[in-house]
Amino acid sequence: MLLEKKLIEELLDAGLSRGADFAEVFVEETDSTMLQSLSGKLEKANSSKLFGVGIRLAKKFQTVYGYTNSQNPEDLLKLADDLSKSFSDDQLTKRVPLMELEVGPRHNAEIKPQDVPLTDKVALMKKAYKAAADYDEVIQQVIIYLLDNTQNVLIANSEGRFVTETRYRVRIGINSVAAKDGVMQTGGVGPGSGKGFEYLFNEIDVEEYGKEASRIAITMLNAEECPSGVMPVVIHNGFGGVIFHEACGHPLEATSVAKNASVFCNKMGTKVASDIVTAIDDGTIENRWGSANYDDEGYPQQRRVLIENGVLKSYMIDKLNGRRMNAEATGSSRRQNYKFAPTSRMSNTYIDNGESTFDEIIQDTKYGLFAAKLGGGSVNPGNGDFNFAVMEGYMIRDGKIAEPVRGASLVGNGANILYKIDMIANNLESARGMCGSVSGSIPADVGQPTLRVTEITVGGKRGA
Amino acid sequence: MLNIDKLFQVAKEKGIQDIQVYLSTSTNLSVEIFEGEVDKYEIADNTSLTVKGVFNNKMGVYSTEVISDELIDEIVDTVIASAKVIDSDDDAIIYEGDDQYEEVEGLYNDDLTQLDVAKKIETLKKMDQKFHNFDKRVKNVETSYTETINSILLQNSKGLKLENKANASYIVGQVIVADENDQRTGFDVKITNDFNDYNIDELVEEITNDALNSLGAQPVPSKNYEILFSGLSLATLFSAFQNVFSAQAVQKGISLLKGKLGEVVGSELINVVDDPFMKKSASSRSFDDEGVATKHKYLIKNGVLNTYLHNLVTAKKDGVKSTGNGFGGGIRAVNMMIEPGLTPFDEMLASVKDGIYITNVQGAHAGANPVSGDFSLQAAGYYVVDGKIVSPVALITVAGNFLEMLKDVILVGNESKMTYYGITCPAVKVKSMIVSGK
Repeated sequence: MLLEKKLIEELLDAGLSRGADFAEVFVEETDSTMLQSLSGKLEKANSSKLFGVGIRLAKKFQTVYGYTNSQNPEDLLKLADDLSKSFSDDQLTKRVPLMELEVGPRHNAEIKPQDVPLTDKVALMKKAYKAAADYDEVIQQVIIYLLDNTQNVLIANSEGRFVTETRYRVRIGINSVAAKDGVMQTGGVGPGSGKGFEYLFNEIDVEEYGKEASRIAITMLNAEECPSGVMPVVIHNGFGGVIFHEACGHPLEATSVAKNASVFCNKMGTKVASDIVTAIDDGTIENRWGSANYDDEGYPQQRRVLIENGVLKSYMIDKLNGRRMNAEATGSSRRQNYKFAPTSRMSNTYIDNGESTFDEIIQDTKYGLFAAKLGGGSVNPGNGDFNFAVMEGYMIRDGKIAEPVRGASLVGNGANILYKIDMIANNLESARGMCGSVSGSIPADVGQPTLRVTEITVGGKRGA
Repeated sequence: MLNIDKLFQVAKEKGIQDIQVYLSTSTNLSVEIFEGEVDKYEIADNTSLTVKGVFNNKMGVYSTEVISDELIDEIVDTVIASAKVIDSDDDAIIYEGDDQYEEVEGLYNDDLTQLDVAKKIETLKKMDQKFHNFDKRVKNVETSYTETINSILLQNSKGLKLENKANASYIVGQVIVADENDQRTGFDVKITNDFNDYNIDELVEEITNDALNSLGAQPVPSKNYEILFSGLSLATLFSAFQNVFSAQAVQKGISLLKGKLGEVVGSELINVVDDPFMKKSASSRSFDDEGVATKHKYLIKNGVLNTYLHNLVTAKKDGVKSTGNGFGGGIRAVNMMIEPGLTPFDEMLASVKDGIYITNVQGAHAGANPVSGDFSLQAAGYYVVDGKIVSPVALITVAGNFLEMLKDVILVGNESKMTYYGITCPAVKVKSMIVSGK
């Protein structure tokens, strides 16, 4: 147990003692390792341990949060007491006795990170390095990261909730740099999972991923600068889903909806996308990168259909923003660690399969950009304007994929782009991402089938 | 707490040649106002320990937030295990210290700490009110105040012991404004450790005007334009490319500045400085995380690349002295600053015949390639014709190459702004860049 149950009860009571109507204790112990190699030589092997307690109190819309990494009961009680002083009300809320729920039974790891010797982790990195470096002589540099993370959490609240869970994440990042005639281009891959090391050792082929990183770098080295202008864009499956994540996912989070700061406010049940768009946020997919048994408020993760056939069906809502919205929480509350109060966040978010095929979409496009691999991006939730980078792109000419192009970025508006999706393929895939927002940086999956947007602004260096 | 002498002793017994601890303790206060009321209030304290040790001439590292004498053996064993798998040729250096460390003035301002929280909340509420009263098109306001106190103790087995204590605070203001046809946002952050520096009226006016003026913004036709970057948008670009100055990136062959020392890398108007003694910056420090004394230096002087940023390892490799930029296991500038030039902003604007005044760029973490220098970033601002602002612009991208852009700078503004990227920048005018719009 991360903290004695009796102490947790005392903390909750102290929290409620001056009129707060909700109290929550979040305890976390996280062990992680980050290994980094350059040109096959291991440069960093950093292990770290995080431990802390976060206490959150609320009364109606007002929230107070405090955290410490002291384990001393007196320090913790003082924190709860200090926080409770933000409230003054004779009407006290009674605490419901803690009802301990079963430890989260899903999303387990077979080979736990702490059982894997560092030498085995390093050997895996060397294997990936060799495949990436040997791929072609223009590969000048390969940088590899191996990350694992074991997060133990305990979440209890004044409504009787009491859950514990261990969450595992493993990920390898392979970045190849190709150089020729003074020009450098990069290619990267980053497979990861909410499993243990069985994923990296047995389920994926890190050598194939190494080659893939180098292939992208070389393709981009030989690419021309992307032209700019407004054109149809075919966005490939997998990480292409970052477009929905940025442009539509963030504005559907209660974090912005509750404060009337989202373009999707007051749109529930109305049409917000073209008929062929169905989008889902599902935190229950077994062992997925963004999955968990419980959200960071201790409620079961859920599958949320956000948009169905173009109609807005659900927001992603945490408990306290739910109060402002007069709506039930959807198990969407997440945080990087105890240093952040939780709020509504995405888990594994994707646009569902459509009825076209990949070939049909390309063949149907006379001229445009094929964004095979996207990089990161960002969105302004206040008006929905977004941008993201194309890491691997090709021109489409007369229904065929033509020459590679580099340096492209896509800009648009989230509310508009959903109407402009006119073809969706049947090849849904997902990819790993790290999502940054008010409650920190969290693992989030993105995904989609290949789809076409009829027009989007493409920024490139070649001019119009 | 931890008995450091005992840790050093156990480490020595287990075969660690040299060892260093870095103990960081911080406290945090944060208040957020929404619709005139305190919406969020946060207090926190945090302590973390990072231990570096040299074993078989390799550097092992462990950081932990569970700090107690009982864990000394575990800490030492983890450091050794970490060192054992390292096979890079990098030197493992624990530093004996410099003769002199320049004192940084005003890093800790006790008046800020002592000022009653109620006063801080009152200021925020006032700000919230001013936002709402500023214009009826203001639809949504969020303001917040954050204050931190951070203490560092760096101690190693070569007899070096250094301490640093600093505090900082910042106010964030953000608004959403809307009319019948459009919705736009405004955002800015003011950072200082002197509460008297907060000019709420000015902050409200700047943020709100910025948002109101951009209502109805549209893309412009795609073509080349003269570009006037605001200090903030230039700082965003520099933040995306600041790692190119790191000797680590250079030595690894992943910096576009490799092999360019002493060469012209920008217009002669460009002067880039790292000033670790900058006043009212919470980042200012007299020593880096390796215990090396920090120094003021030009990275680019009159357009010529003057030095890279070094830590102990990269400096030894290049046969130079560390520049005191070893932070957090890597390398970074303490306070990067692009020095102001001579031209008043009005004159800069007046000189634009057909261009875009870019006030904001987005997506620098994704749309900028620090290896090639290429970028293509979402931008917003104003269309300028014959020296006059004609209309607001949004949803365009501005594309180029970082070094080519530095070479194409033709005017540098005479006022600079400390931005929330920790980079201080003036406005600059660039000859021509590719803009993609409609």
